[in-house]
Amino acid sequence: MLWDREELKRPDFVLLFAFVGLLLTGLLIIYSATHGANAEIRNNFPKQAVWIVSGVLLLAFLSLLPFKFFHEAAVPFYIFSIILLVAVLVIGDGTGVKRWLVVGPLRLQPSELAKIATLLLLAKYASEGKRDFKQIKNISVAFFLVLLPTLLIIKQPDLGTALVFMAMILPVLFWAGLSLFIVFLLIAPLITLASAFNFYSFFTTIILIVSVMVASGRGAKIIIPNFLLNIGVGIVTPMLWNQLHGYQKSRILTFIGLEQDPRGLGYQVLQSKVAIGSGGLWGKGWLQGTQTHLRFLPEQHTDFIFSVLGEEFGFIGVCFVLGLFFILLWRALNIAQTSKNKFSSLIVIGACTIIAFHVCVNTGMTVGIMPVTGLPLPFLSYGGSSLLTNIVLIGLIINAGRRRFQYL
Amino acid sequence: MRPGFSQNNRLIIFRVFLILTFCMLLFRYAYVQLIQQDIYYRQSERNRIRPITLVPPRGIVRDRYEEILVDNVPGYSIYIIPNELTSADSVFDSLGQLIGRSPDQLRKVYKRDRRGRFQKVKICRYIDFASLAQIEENKLDLPGIVYGIEPRRSYPAGVKAPHLFGYLGEIDEKGLQSEEFAEYERGDIIGKAGIERVYDKILQGEKGYQIVEVDAMGREIGVLDQLQSQDPVPGLELHLSIDAGLQRFLEQKMDTLRGGAAVLNCQNGEVVALVSKPGYSPDLFARPITQEAWAKLTRDPAKPLYDRMVQSGTNPGSTYKLITAIAGLQENLINPDEKVYCPGVYRLGRRLFKCWKEAGHGSVNLQQAIEQSCNVYFYRMVQKIGLENWAKYSRLFHFGEKTGIDLTQEYSGSVPDKAYFDERYGVGKWSRGLLLNLTVGQGELLVTPLQMATFALLIANRGEGFRPHVNRLIKNPETGEVTLFEPQPLCVNGIREAVWDKVHQGMYDVVNGVHGTAKRANPRRMGMKVAGKTGTAQNPHGDDHAWFIGFAPFDNPKVAFCFFVENGGGGGAVAAPIAGSMLRYLLREKKIKPN
Repeated sequence: MLWDREELKRPDFVLLFAFVGLLLTGLLIIYSATHGANAEIRNNFPKQAVWIVSGVLLLAFLSLLPFKFFHEAAVPFYIFSIILLVAVLVIGDGTGVKRWLVVGPLRLQPSELAKIATLLLLAKYASEGKRDFKQIKNISVAFFLVLLPTLLIIKQPDLGTALVFMAMILPVLFWAGLSLFIVFLLIAPLITLASAFNFYSFFTTIILIVSVMVASGRGAKIIIPNFLLNIGVGIVTPMLWNQLHGYQKSRILTFIGLEQDPRGLGYQVLQSKVAIGSGGLWGKGWLQGTQTHLRFLPEQHTDFIFSVLGEEFGFIGVCFVLGLFFILLWRALNIAQTSKNKFSSLIVIGACTIIAFHVCVNTGMTVGIMPVTGLPLPFLSYGGSSLLTNIVLIGLIINAGRRRFQYL
Repeated sequence: MRPGFSQNNRLIIFRVFLILTFCMLLFRYAYVQLIQQDIYYRQSERNRIRPITLVPPRGIVRDRYEEILVDNVPGYSIYIIPNELTSADSVFDSLGQLIGRSPDQLRKVYKRDRRGRFQKVKICRYIDFASLAQIEENKLDLPGIVYGIEPRRSYPAGVKAPHLFGYLGEIDEKGLQSEEFAEYERGDIIGKAGIERVYDKILQGEKGYQIVEVDAMGREIGVLDQLQSQDPVPGLELHLSIDAGLQRFLEQKMDTLRGGAAVLNCQNGEVVALVSKPGYSPDLFARPITQEAWAKLTRDPAKPLYDRMVQSGTNPGSTYKLITAIAGLQENLINPDEKVYCPGVYRLGRRLFKCWKEAGHGSVNLQQAIEQSCNVYFYRMVQKIGLENWAKYSRLFHFGEKTGIDLTQEYSGSVPDKAYFDERYGVGKWSRGLLLNLTVGQGELLVTPLQMATFALLIANRGEGFRPHVNRLIKNPETGEVTLFEPQPLCVNGIREAVWDKVHQGMYDVVNGVHGTAKRANPRRMGMKVAGKTGTAQNPHGDDHAWFIGFAPFDNPKVAFCFFVENGGGGGAVAAPIAGSMLRYLLREKKIKPN
């Protein structure tokens, strides 16, 4: 019950401190990244401050809601977000790339909403009764729940966000009881996919996968269909490759290092690496980054905010922020572990995955070990939609922590 | 959940994953920020400060009296900023229409020269002001299109000597790779022909650099370090030996003709006038030439693009008889007083060789034979001399080799000899008749009109000649420092004074004698005396080519000249009168003294 305070524990203050620390660092860097620019970009700093204040209010409100509310809201919320995702494809704003839905003065990104809705529904589905994830049916349903929004988002097209959805499914199902062997079977096609462009690597991969399956002592009933599945993936992948948009292809190629174009896409990464690398151990100091100040960095207050941090605060600053993220995620895992409520526990794992995936891909991207997918850095990047989503995720984690002894 | 694989184990797997991921990130950042810091720090400095090339004004060109022949005026070039080019197709289409170029061509240039998102691409050089105004009017429909000012060449003196001036153009791929242009960069403007090419390094000046801070758009924020900047050094002034007045006079005189004129200063080999007609306005190449204009120039049967004076060889006609005369006298094979009877025709074996005067010249000695240009006399004499001597003296007078003028693509001409004929026709398979043709400047002998002018100079100076050149001096416009051009001697040694005397006397009679073929070369002013030799080169493709070479004043030569009119007819009737009016012009303008 909303007012039933007896059952509530104190929130995890260490996690909260890490969270607040990230928000404040973000503001600090956004100020630096925007202060020399034109009025429109300079305006982003106060705007972000407003977003943060409203986000914190939202967080306070969310932590008051009982988890039962999320449990019951999951299905309608999911349906609502799917409708929005379809709507954005039909009436979305943007030329070529349709990601925004304009409602009055607001520009909504339905994919952000869908992240939370999908996580809620997936957690609800996986936590219901004694769901057995040895059954293909159950795994398939779970996958379908995630794939539906994923495909709609790929259509926008927004490859990065779509990958976030795919990333959350395995950890959540694994936490819900999926066996390691099935996780292996599910990952195997991905490895096959990566190896499918060269016959010899493809051949070797198939041999390895079959060996693991045989070694596990499973019967032919499992081995043969999986063998065929991997063969199929290997054949279809090159065909699908040709269907990709040119920019998607070149992003992937730049990522694997097969394409180098310092003036095109690689330009962003190169400039970002120059900014970060030139920061050194201590950085050039706040507001002193030459790359930042001279606007060599692309999208420096959004996707490439971490390069500004790297340049101005150096390796120390990078360690500080990554440390805060680590503490946040570590404490969240504690909450998932101690929670007696399977639904909330799964939500925490999902939220952790989403945040961790963003952090990993975004910070990896700025130093050139991850593709430029357009994923923002949680809590630091400028942008209302993404900030609110991440705050909701934190709200869910904190809420789960406060009610970790509650059964539904 | 299988027993032994508790939730705790799953948590451990997550924790290990989390630790590994963050370790990977930290290692990567440590590598980039700690180990590679120096590399990236240097790059960040280079990123922020960019040297901007400052192109100096190209040196101007003046004539011998300092009148400006080639000047600089502002031209407008069109650039594209790739990052701002939002609707490329429509931009190229409408831009193409505004400046009268095909959109595909613009697209091609853009694609070829595009270097980066923020780097301007020069798409079109030197558009006219009207087009620029239209582009500015339609600015909103042309996102990413900007213009810049770039000086271009102009020719204020009204001297239309495109072959002499040459033209400018962007350095090409071959040039970029060559040793000569090692310090040039892509997009640099260099001289492509004529004096612009020969004196490119002098006119070019030295580029300067300015260290500026730029933003990612390539916009300059300011000059970073004044101390590190280097001002461009303007190109030096080139003062030609050309007399613009005389050049204009001759250009006008020969405007409707095909041919040319070369007037040399006997004292140092300076080229005072160098005309090749038909020509075209040098302005045509000072801006991108339109396709129609180019087609018109290349398809014109009169071939206005090539320099008739320097770049092509032809038969010199009877002007070349002087070689036979000199060879015969010097080798003591001709007695100048020996008379030869000319019946108007000469028989060699079964072939008949005509004299130009069908009635014949009667009995003539050497002097008379030169005066009246008697073929039969020279047919007889050249057989005494022989092909080998004839070729030797041709070479001695520097035929078959380039004069070394400071212009581009000079033709060396061709002097045939025994080896040449043996190779061409086979040993023993060619008749002596070929030699008869050669002595009257026909057949396989090819000379440039400039070589003939140089030949006239050599005779005028009794062998003490100079290589023709157009560079008079180079002047630094800032310091006033002057570097005079050092004339290069070009001599014919060992010819006896008596031989020169005889030849001079013959050439004097050509203009002044009763039967002289070039009486109209006489200016009949202030008693100036002229000597020369006419030529009428037969041409299987059309009318004869008219020639006249000579020098003046006779006693103390100041100018040597060659006039050449393609398909003009007789040298005496067509070419010689131009020499006469040229000398009258020089006397009238007091540019030459009558003696």
